[in-house]
Amino acid sequence: MATDNTNAGGFGEVSRVRGIAFEYLSLGASVIGLVALGVLLVYVTIDAFDLANASPEWLLTYFLTLVVPFLAFCLYSASDPEVTRRALSALGGGLVAVAALFTAIETFVAPIPRLSWQLAYLFVVAMPVTAYLTYIGSRGRAGGVGFGLVGRLVGGAAIGLAVGTLFLVFDSLVWFLAYTLGVVPAAALYAYGRRRSVNWAMTAAVPVGLVGLVAAVFLRGVIVTYPSDLIIYVWTLAIPVAIAGGLVVADRGSRLAGAATGGVPLAVAVAGGFLAGGFGVPGPTALIVLVTVGVPTAVYLHRVIDEGDGLVGLALPVLLVGGALVGALVVEAWGVPAPDPWLDASFVTEAPSRTAEDAGLYPAIVGSVIIIALVAVLSFVLGVGTSVFLEEYTPESGILGSLTRLIQVNIANLAAIPSVVYGLLGLGLFANLLGFGLGTAVTASLTLSLLILPITIISAQEAIRSVPDDLRRGSDAMGATRWQTTKNVVLPEAFPGILTGTILALGRAIGETAPLIMIGAATTVFSAPASLFSRFSAMPMQIYAWANFPQAEFRYGVVAAGVITLLIILIGMNGTAILLRNRAERGS
Amino acid sequence: MSNTETDTEANDSLITTDVETGSNERSMTTDATAVAARDLNVFYGDEQAIDGVSMEIPENRVTALIGPSGCGKSTFLRCVNRMNDMIEVCRVEGDVEFGGKNVYDSDVDPVALRRKIGMVFQKPNPFPKSIRDNVAYGLKIQGYDGDVDERVEESLKGAALWDEVKDQLGSSGLELSGGQQQRLCIARAIAPDPEVILMDEPTSALDPVAASKIEDLIDDLAEEYTVIIVTHNMQQAARISDRTAVFLTGGRLVEYDDTTKIFEDPEEQRVEDYITGKFG
Amino acid sequence: MTDSTESPDLQRRSGLRRLKEGTYGGLFAACAAVTLLTTVAIFVTLLSDAVVFFQEIPIAQFLTGTNWSPNPAGGGQAFGIIPLLIGTLVVTVTAAFIALPVGTLTAIYLSEYATPNARSILKPLLEILAGIPTVVYGYFALVYVTPALKATLFPEMSTFNALSASIMVGIMTIPMVSSISEDAMSAVPDDLRQAGYGLGATKFEVSTGIVVPASISGIASSYILAVSRAIGETMIVVVAMGAQARMPAVREAAFGIPIVNPADVLLESGMTITVAMVQIAGGDLTGGSIPYDSMFALGLTLFVVTLVMNVISDIIAQRYREEY
Repeated sequence: MATDNTNAGGFGEVSRVRGIAFEYLSLGASVIGLVALGVLLVYVTIDAFDLANASPEWLLTYFLTLVVPFLAFCLYSASDPEVTRRALSALGGGLVAVAALFTAIETFVAPIPRLSWQLAYLFVVAMPVTAYLTYIGSRGRAGGVGFGLVGRLVGGAAIGLAVGTLFLVFDSLVWFLAYTLGVVPAAALYAYGRRRSVNWAMTAAVPVGLVGLVAAVFLRGVIVTYPSDLIIYVWTLAIPVAIAGGLVVADRGSRLAGAATGGVPLAVAVAGGFLAGGFGVPGPTALIVLVTVGVPTAVYLHRVIDEGDGLVGLALPVLLVGGALVGALVVEAWGVPAPDPWLDASFVTEAPSRTAEDAGLYPAIVGSVIIIALVAVLSFVLGVGTSVFLEEYTPESGILGSLTRLIQVNIANLAAIPSVVYGLLGLGLFANLLGFGLGTAVTASLTLSLLILPITIISAQEAIRSVPDDLRRGSDAMGATRWQTTKNVVLPEAFPGILTGTILALGRAIGETAPLIMIGAATTVFSAPASLFSRFSAMPMQIYAWANFPQAEFRYGVVAAGVITLLIILIGMNGTAILLRNRAERGS
Repeated sequence: MSNTETDTEANDSLITTDVETGSNERSMTTDATAVAARDLNVFYGDEQAIDGVSMEIPENRVTALIGPSGCGKSTFLRCVNRMNDMIEVCRVEGDVEFGGKNVYDSDVDPVALRRKIGMVFQKPNPFPKSIRDNVAYGLKIQGYDGDVDERVEESLKGAALWDEVKDQLGSSGLELSGGQQQRLCIARAIAPDPEVILMDEPTSALDPVAASKIEDLIDDLAEEYTVIIVTHNMQQAARISDRTAVFLTGGRLVEYDDTTKIFEDPEEQRVEDYITGKFG
Repeated sequence: MTDSTESPDLQRRSGLRRLKEGTYGGLFAACAAVTLLTTVAIFVTLLSDAVVFFQEIPIAQFLTGTNWSPNPAGGGQAFGIIPLLIGTLVVTVTAAFIALPVGTLTAIYLSEYATPNARSILKPLLEILAGIPTVVYGYFALVYVTPALKATLFPEMSTFNALSASIMVGIMTIPMVSSISEDAMSAVPDDLRQAGYGLGATKFEVSTGIVVPASISGIASSYILAVSRAIGETMIVVVAMGAQARMPAVREAAFGIPIVNPADVLLESGMTITVAMVQIAGGDLTGGSIPYDSMFALGLTLFVVTLVMNVISDIIAQRYREEY
């Protein structure tokens, strides 16, 4: 063995220099990609919010009103003196070190472009420390509940936005009919069947629902009078959401509490919807906001009051909203020069424009939402079906066994085919041969569904495989048919894993650009798509288009805002997937 | 009169006695046959797991299958409800009769068969569902149209678990202790009212206290059901069974007789060696 | 033998239940068939249009031509794949220079040195590298990496260049190399490591002298997959590398061997197979024209190359799975 004995006589010391150098080299290699990505993300964030032009006073104001209270809350919920001590020394030491380092570099070497030491401190020290504390705090009781509320509110608002977008995009009247004729009777039948253990009712729910949906499409042209939009929204959105919230509470506590949890926000939301017109806000918008924010809040409040714990968690949203308001007030009152962020409310609510100031991402966001919704349904159904077939229905040997292996190898190969080739498939097959049209949402959805199908299948297979065989044998021995075992035992156990895999795969689909170019998706459209067969743009397409603009405001401002929006959505999706997975792991 | 068939000459000593080793007083003389094997051979690929076994298992009795590991006793058990069908390389020759019908006939639906035969496994395997849903599982998949809750209560009482769980029927079956989980699995097996209950070393994963509760339970179950139990614990077989079959290596049934006879005066030297611990 | 109970009803049901079972089985099989159909559909779609293309442009001309200009302003289309192959090769090789060593070292660190805690943090973080949309990487390369390189190392670099694109492709493929290699290294049995330590080897010697050679087939398969991914990468190169199909300038020969200065290729814009496809797709997509058909010929080339590489990697990976 090649041991370097420095002292050939005795047992001496074996040289460790090479080994240690190698260890640090490999550690460096592990993080270099992440560091590079981190630096790029810092820069793109600075560009998106125009922080390079933020004055130190502005940064200080918001640091004091927003970041410091939030940090204090995190420290409180971490409630560990040692963590507090380390966090404070990291914050203080980091402040001094970053300032000194920056001054030194700027004096002796060269100015660092578009980065001040205050920004560097914010990104390199304050944010990691906050993230760490958030993580520690969210594991504790007080913080956990508090972050729970923020999560609920954000999640509820996001669902509201998505649902609202769909209402605006699709014909809300068709939805009204489909909901009334299909969804409600099916749900009622199913609930009845479940409660009374009546099998035929549960089985009948599916055909009844389907008949209702088909009937809705036909009747849309026949029926001429409809209730107002607001009433449709109340009936098809507010009531079911309120019932769901009420049921969650009733399941945990009393029926009365459930009724109150569902009923109060519903009443407030409906009243708000009718009164909103007086303040110049569209009624449906007010209703969606109030329902999707109110119901999760009520559910959460019930839990806090019921368990008498985590009341302090309620302070978090108050702190955040209050801090932002105070900050804005101070900036306004003292005339602190404020930067003009590219990523603001108007960016996500307005259409693209030739001028950078007016450019918005709204049609592309709606396009992406529609495509992803359809991709989710298609790839989930196909992915679960295929993985159930491969894992539960086929033997390992014989002709069927070889067929299974062929399918398995084929799936692995499909996963390795470049996405641009899938684009050609979409172009040749869906757009031109089958006539779904160039650049339509349905062509895009079909193409992207096939693209992520291998990933969905592989992760669903893993989830199904991880269901213990004991359970299958137990069910088989009860005389369950294969389908009964699959439906009652395997799929419920594997569901969180399947869902996690599907969401991660959807994250891949939402960022794909090359296939969209190949099927002729528009780079820029000025209104949200009106139907599945209309032309659309998607977030990555819009980013691609803007990146080609020569003006600096687009390159460094608008595109950065688009990138941050896309990444926030991606992080949201992946975060949800990981939460689901952790929850499932803790559950079993 | 039930025959005792072994692959050896032992067919002459069918004595009906109530002695200390037998745990019960059920008479041995007027038994109908619940399950019968006729010249059963089972192969896993090229390996023979059961070699020419013929035996008749009486109704409403506890029949124990004992023997060293790998002797084919579990394989035999799994032939009765055709769970071996799940193993692709498994091949079965000969007949297994259940209620006079060969379960390996081509017109027999293994699913229908398993609905008449309950099974309890070595490791408790309750479904990750509520206690109620666990017990009601068999009723649900068979489309039982009576009062499910009543049947759940009866089954839990039958498995001596009702008093411990009656206030928490909605909580997960996985929250119970190991012994309780196993009794839950027994309740699940008896809920659809099967005729035979197969038990594959049901106490080997449990502590002694939990195991003894299950043993008491098995004794009660024999009032209504035919119980066939595989065990590697000879004391257990002696305590709870009426009839005992001894399998030795190679999947041969060496001796099959009343439990008292097997444990006090076995015909075969090999069986005596095995029981006294000289072999296996 | 007596039968006290009447013979139980064990008949196969011909009715509803079997129909239901069969229906579900059939539905699942149909889903699985979709995956096979997808492969067939890709192949047929690519081939049918590629065949039309090759009737116009002979395969030999396509494979040996050194000029690619599908939509020239003044007529004179040319469909020679060589410049595209060179562009693809440049990006792939440069990206491999980053991804392969970094990915291998990462895998060694994760498998041999990292504490379980560090591993549980690093692994998901590395997956993020592969999860960032490629158009975002392309944007980073164009807007941040190129100006940074231009300001520091290569003042003569052009706005669209192969180097920044390749760096980003390399970073993106690091997790492919590291995760598959790490799987292979983790599969090396601990006995082998213990044997090494027993002989007085240091951790470094065990890692590089025992674990890496033992898992070499897994590492090789990860390399091939990463390279195949880099070949098919589209958006990074589209955004950051520009779209000029060029043959690299041959400098004067030293010792009679013609030399291409790497700077001429890396710091200038170029065109890969994927860029050529996207460029055509930006124009005419209604079908019937030669450029339209040429996309499918290029797609077929890409499909065949990645498929072959995937099969090779699979065969190699099979070996390490069988070894332990």
